[in-house]
Amino acid sequence: MLSLILIVTASFFFTGIIIRTKSILSGRKGPGIFQPMKDIRRLLRKGSVYSETSGFVFKLAPTVYFASVVMAMLFIPFGNQPGLFSFEGDFVFFAYVLALGKFFSIIGALDTGSSFEGMGASREALYSLLAEPAFFLLMGSFALLTGQTSFADIFGTLHFTSQISYAIGALASLVLLAIALIENSRMPLDDPKTHLELTMVHEVMILDNSGFDLGMILQATNLKFAMYGALVANMFLTRGYEIYYSIPIFIGVQFLFALIIGVLESFWARFRMNHNPQFILMITSIALFIFLGVLLMLGKIV
Amino acid sequence: MEISGWLSSTWLVAIAAIVAIPVLKVRLKSWFATFAILVSSVITGAFAIMAIKSNGLETYLYAGRFFGEIPLRIDGLSAWFILIVNFTSLMGALYGVGYMKSYHEQPRNLSFHWSLFVIFHLSMVWVCMVQHSLAFLIFWEFMSLSSMLLVMFEHQKAETLKAGINYLIQMHLGVALLTVAFIWVYASRQSFDFREIAFFFDNNPSLLLFFLFFAGFGIKAGFIPFHTWLPYAHPAAPSHVSGVMSGVIVKMGIYGILRVVSYLSAGSLLLIGEIILTVSVFSALYGILNASVHRDIKKMLAFCTIENIGIIGIGIGMGMVGKSTGNPYIMLAGFGGALLHTLNHSLFKSVLFFAAGNIYKMTHTRNMEHLGGLIRRMPFTAVAFLIGALAIGGLPPFNGFVSEFLIYSGLIEGIKSSSPEISTLMIMSIAGLAMAGGLSLITFTKTFGVVFLGNPRRQTAHEPLEVPAIMQAPMILILALIVAIGLAPGLLLRPLMAAIAPLGLTGGVSEPVNSTFSLLSSVGFASGFVVVLVVILLLLKKFITREAQVDVSPTWGCGYIAPDAGMQYTGKSFSKSLAKLFSMVAIEEKKYKEISPGNIFPKKRTYIARYNEFFETMIIDKALRWMLSFFNLFLFIHNGRIQTYILYGFFFILLVLAGSVLNLF
Repeated sequence: MLSLILIVTASFFFTGIIIRTKSILSGRKGPGIFQPMKDIRRLLRKGSVYSETSGFVFKLAPTVYFASVVMAMLFIPFGNQPGLFSFEGDFVFFAYVLALGKFFSIIGALDTGSSFEGMGASREALYSLLAEPAFFLLMGSFALLTGQTSFADIFGTLHFTSQISYAIGALASLVLLAIALIENSRMPLDDPKTHLELTMVHEVMILDNSGFDLGMILQATNLKFAMYGALVANMFLTRGYEIYYSIPIFIGVQFLFALIIGVLESFWARFRMNHNPQFILMITSIALFIFLGVLLMLGKIV
Repeated sequence: MEISGWLSSTWLVAIAAIVAIPVLKVRLKSWFATFAILVSSVITGAFAIMAIKSNGLETYLYAGRFFGEIPLRIDGLSAWFILIVNFTSLMGALYGVGYMKSYHEQPRNLSFHWSLFVIFHLSMVWVCMVQHSLAFLIFWEFMSLSSMLLVMFEHQKAETLKAGINYLIQMHLGVALLTVAFIWVYASRQSFDFREIAFFFDNNPSLLLFFLFFAGFGIKAGFIPFHTWLPYAHPAAPSHVSGVMSGVIVKMGIYGILRVVSYLSAGSLLLIGEIILTVSVFSALYGILNASVHRDIKKMLAFCTIENIGIIGIGIGMGMVGKSTGNPYIMLAGFGGALLHTLNHSLFKSVLFFAAGNIYKMTHTRNMEHLGGLIRRMPFTAVAFLIGALAIGGLPPFNGFVSEFLIYSGLIEGIKSSSPEISTLMIMSIAGLAMAGGLSLITFTKTFGVVFLGNPRRQTAHEPLEVPAIMQAPMILILALIVAIGLAPGLLLRPLMAAIAPLGLTGGVSEPVNSTFSLLSSVGFASGFVVVLVVILLLLKKFITREAQVDVSPTWGCGYIAPDAGMQYTGKSFSKSLAKLFSMVAIEEKKYKEISPGNIFPKKRTYIARYNEFFETMIIDKALRWMLSFFNLFLFIHNGRIQTYILYGFFFILLVLAGSVLNLF
């Protein structure tokens, strides 16, 4: 329950911090930290415009997408406290429920019959597909390392004992950061601030969404960021899981996570579309390194 | 009456149906066939349920001096497959009643079709029961031949004939391998009883024999590289036949493999299990990758069958690894996941094929690029296809997720194994399975989006309408099961345990069973919670936006004001970037003429692009061409002149004469 409250709270600040970082780094005054949340609040109360081509799939899609992110969030533990749902192998459910949301957001985009939205949908489907193995390799390595198979048990028994384990923690954070960037279609894969539909990935998929639906989609992005941030935070908690350490660590990690994304977006240019798969597959190879590291740590191979 | 009597009576039912169907009125043929299938399903289904409850039934059927006593055994494994065969065939027949209505002007063809359907169903059921090599091969052959003729219903089309002949030849390659394997066992043990296979495996090196069996059954099941018949046979067959073929006939291959696996000795399990696991991961990836680039709906579904066979194979291989390392969790998750996925696949694949049949019936095309916007015309078909697509993609809250989850949980358990080889194999399988899951997301969003959403891309001859209730009814029944298994998977655990028992997971391992039961219940509960969450959010949305204004306007064209249905994203373009990334496997063949520099004015041009299959074009066709050119060297012998042929006979007689004179023979 605590993790749920923390993630939701963090999600309120997340995009604000990214935008604030970017505006400070580019020397602009920029909007306040709460501006994104104010936008979402405004959107939630606005009316909507629906395309005449679209039907119930389009109306249902954002809701399923948002529900899938909320459901995935309920699996995230906080230290040794399991999430609302916790069972053996729950990270498979986590990944698949997110895929359910993705499925609906893609068919929602296709329901408008727009050539642009189909293009975005195709790209998003491809990128999330390529990122899929990395997450499973990462969690599989943790399962091997800890001998546990649920989020809560894995993070509850993850002890950082030897030198190599710090390397593994750092690599794992890198993988999770990259997955968060891919899942939320941020730089360097996709520029959310671009003006040309042809070069967009996620933004072009939701061109026709408006009002409450758009608000939900934007908030889902915030929640997803905070969710991956929470996963990273879980790797760096203290061994005793004392709450007076855990909460500041959680807040610090989330803040750092948003800050890093802001810095990356300020100094990185977007990749060419055909370089994106290479970037994403690189994440998979890092995940393989983690697996190798775990095998080394456990002394299974020399 | 005895068990064997009851079971034999199913053939009387079939013979009665075959006699009656040709003389019945054209409208009643299909109903009578369905009734015959129902009767034999009830008889065999009852025994299957009894077998599950009572640890198996055994009886002997005396079949003349040549065959002797044929053992009929229904254990949990047979019972599981018999129930799947019965349900899927029954649903297929029921759907066929409506689907075949448009062919009522060909009564003779229909009589033939429905008689064969009855034989087809019964032969599959008997394949699961008979444990006598010779009789097994006869029923196996009945099944292959009847399904081949069912595929060739539209025999006036050249491509259907070609698909049928392709199927016939490949099935007989399989039978030949199986025959060799059975003869091998017979030669060593002097008995046709299946139990002798176990003795053979205990006393002889088993690798070669097993791979004979695996190749023979694998051709039926569609493991790569034995899969090339599937993408031809499924599109050619009428949709209810493709549904049943993909739903159960390929599963007979799985049944055969599992049956042989149950006889394997402990020593050879690990290596064979690892090999099956590897082949299966590649089958899954290869199948779904091809599915994602193809644009013929039924061909796409056929490739998707290869993927699902791969997933089932992952379960089987993992179960064998678990058995050999003595880990009951992995064994239960592996074999259990494989069997559950067998059931699940037969359900959602039938629904998908039936939905494809609805589309074909209404639009007369299987090419998804000609379709679009069907959801407004055929809402039921669209929703059925959507649920089938979500289920086959393994997404919660539907049944496909449950079996994939079971397989995943076994693989994760396997990662923790003490041997680094097994750990690595398992984690690679997980990555492969995850990748296959992502690819099926692309495949099915593409298919659903292009076929049902957006605007119609072409004018059809007449407006497509929703199919009649008789075609919807079997789909609704299957959809209900899909949802039920997705939300309450724990209920299936008992029959599943009975089905695994012959594979070596016996009583006394209540701990893994209990933990699997609670795991499946948690998964079902979480799946249900997803649905609840969606409903809550929908209500919330309705409440908050109750006063908000809702407008309808054209799709935002990014500034372009005259969009047209032909400008929508096509299926080809949707999977284009993926296909480019995997161009070494998904080989694209393009036919077009370059515009020459002097060509200023636009003219009508053609551009043809299609995807070729790697194994077929790069390996099988090449090998065949080599073979042909080799055999062509001997063309001078087979030169078509009768005089020469008579001379050969003369030579032969001389040879025999000389041989006997010189005492060579």
